[in-house]
Amino acid sequence: MDPTTAMYVAQGIHGLAYGMILFLVASGLNIIFGMMGILNLAHASFFMLSAYFCYQFILWTGNFWMALVLAPVVTAFFGILVERFLLRKVHALGHLGELILTMGVSLVVLAGVKIFWGTESLPIKIPPLLEGLVKLRGLDYPIYRLFIIGLALVVLVLMALLLYKTRLGKIVRAAVSDPDMVDALGINMRRVFMLVFGVGTWLAGVAGVAIAPILTVFPGLSDQMGMDAFIVVVTGGFGSLAGAFIVSIVFGLLSSYGVQFLSQLAPLLMFIFMAVVLAIRPMGLFGERE
Amino acid sequence: MRSAGVKWIGWAVLIAGLVLYPRLLGIYYTNLFVTLAVFGLYSVSFNMLLGYTGLLSFGHALFFGAGGYGAALALKHLTGISLLTAVGIGLLAAVVLALLLCPLVVRISGTAFCMLHLAFGQLMHMLAMKLRNITGGEDGIGGFPLPAVLSFDMKVPSNFYYFAMAVLGLSLWLMWFFTKTPFGQIQVGVRENAKRIDYLGFRITQTKAVVYVTAAAFAGVAGAIYALFQNLISADSGFHVMVSFAPVIMTMIGGIGSFFGPIWGAAIFQILEEVTSRFTDRVELVVGLILILTILFAPGGLAGLIQYVKQRWFAPKAGLEKAV
Repeated sequence: MDPTTAMYVAQGIHGLAYGMILFLVASGLNIIFGMMGILNLAHASFFMLSAYFCYQFILWTGNFWMALVLAPVVTAFFGILVERFLLRKVHALGHLGELILTMGVSLVVLAGVKIFWGTESLPIKIPPLLEGLVKLRGLDYPIYRLFIIGLALVVLVLMALLLYKTRLGKIVRAAVSDPDMVDALGINMRRVFMLVFGVGTWLAGVAGVAIAPILTVFPGLSDQMGMDAFIVVVTGGFGSLAGAFIVSIVFGLLSSYGVQFLSQLAPLLMFIFMAVVLAIRPMGLFGERE
Repeated sequence: MRSAGVKWIGWAVLIAGLVLYPRLLGIYYTNLFVTLAVFGLYSVSFNMLLGYTGLLSFGHALFFGAGGYGAALALKHLTGISLLTAVGIGLLAAVVLALLLCPLVVRISGTAFCMLHLAFGQLMHMLAMKLRNITGGEDGIGGFPLPAVLSFDMKVPSNFYYFAMAVLGLSLWLMWFFTKTPFGQIQVGVRENAKRIDYLGFRITQTKAVVYVTAAAFAGVAGAIYALFQNLISADSGFHVMVSFAPVIMTMIGGIGSFFGPIWGAAIFQILEEVTSRFTDRVELVVGLILILTILFAPGGLAGLIQYVKQRWFAPKAGLEKAV
């Protein structure tokens, strides 16, 4: 391969890695929205919280792999607490109450993170196994980015199996289309909601740990990701996982090629894409409702 | 007759209080009050969208910032314009921006409306940061001249206070008037039951558009006054996400759907911030906790709380009447 194509391919892989992370966050947001109708403004805060937990676990044990498993689980536990003790109580107030509550939660998480870990950015080392570059057909790829893509694909397959091959998945899919009817059939919807919220925050948590070694951990980590994930969900269509996947990948590629060709305007590309999509289809690319 | 008399006395006391305020309490509290009044107007304009048409926006700073930048740029580049003209240009900037967004946003509602505004707000913040030669980047535009109004020097805090009160008060009165017109009643109808208003022969999208532009215009006035007051407008003071969230919080605390609720909310929030910032610099924690506690325990805000107390303890004995 000549150097120019090699550069394009490398940029493409960068974009793909970011798109995959974005998909992990956005899919969690989307599952929660599709099923419970809650737009969780604190979603990206859980993503950030998980990155901080990862830092803390590595500080204690020095083991990245353990952090990768434990941090998202602890994050999901916090998510479940928020659902059980806060969100459930304001559900009757409708959208507005939930938006305001989750905004409050995100502010509290931000403050908490600053209190416990300070405001400076904390580095996380890439584990030795994934350090360095790998040579593929004359090209040097950073192994860690390939690992991120692989990890996201594994999680994606796990989620697909859970959704389409288990009884729980069947209930969840039924509840996305009509929660009241599922409730009437005698299934404890409150518990299912709690579980789904936990799984959603777990997905955000996995993404948080995966991205921590690349970006370092700092209190502004949630800002960019939160915004991007919302744009993905709005553009892809509320409640549509396929839409979230496609738009995530498109956005990842747009941002990495955008930086290369139009460095000044790169962040605008996503907004323009969203505005065009919403102007034509207010419910998003694959959405069925507004 | 008696209630009209009481009303006039109330107005007279209010105006006398506002006139005497800077003399009684000094510069510090005068400036605090101007900030409070600016955010009061800003929140009322936000509540016009939320409370009267049910449209929640997480990007109202769009218009606040546009007003601020409009006024600041006008004063910096145009020589010989009056201060009021600058405020007018701020208003115009916000209106133009609203008209540009209108065709897109009036077709959507609910969560999409809310999030789209969050995104547009971020977009404007980014533009204000990037277009350094126009907006001055993160330093913003500062130190622009403040021309005298009727030969009163506007750099004297108490003089500026009177100017700001006059403009903000007039804006507030105009908005109050607007909500009382038949058109204002249609707005409430759109919130309560859009389909029925449609069947009654009113045009919903056009109604929404007019409210949207009006709300934007008054947010622009608030932003313009704020820029003049600080003699500075920057990406963070105009377009930051927290500027968008401020009216959401104030309206929540004060009470959605009550016209004056957001002003009380702004006052409470301002006082709380003032008091807490003396003890701690964790503003996010305080704001976050206030939001969570308000929505959990007093979802109607202060206005809802007052109504509850009135009904609970001060209501005429409804039970007795029924028995008779």
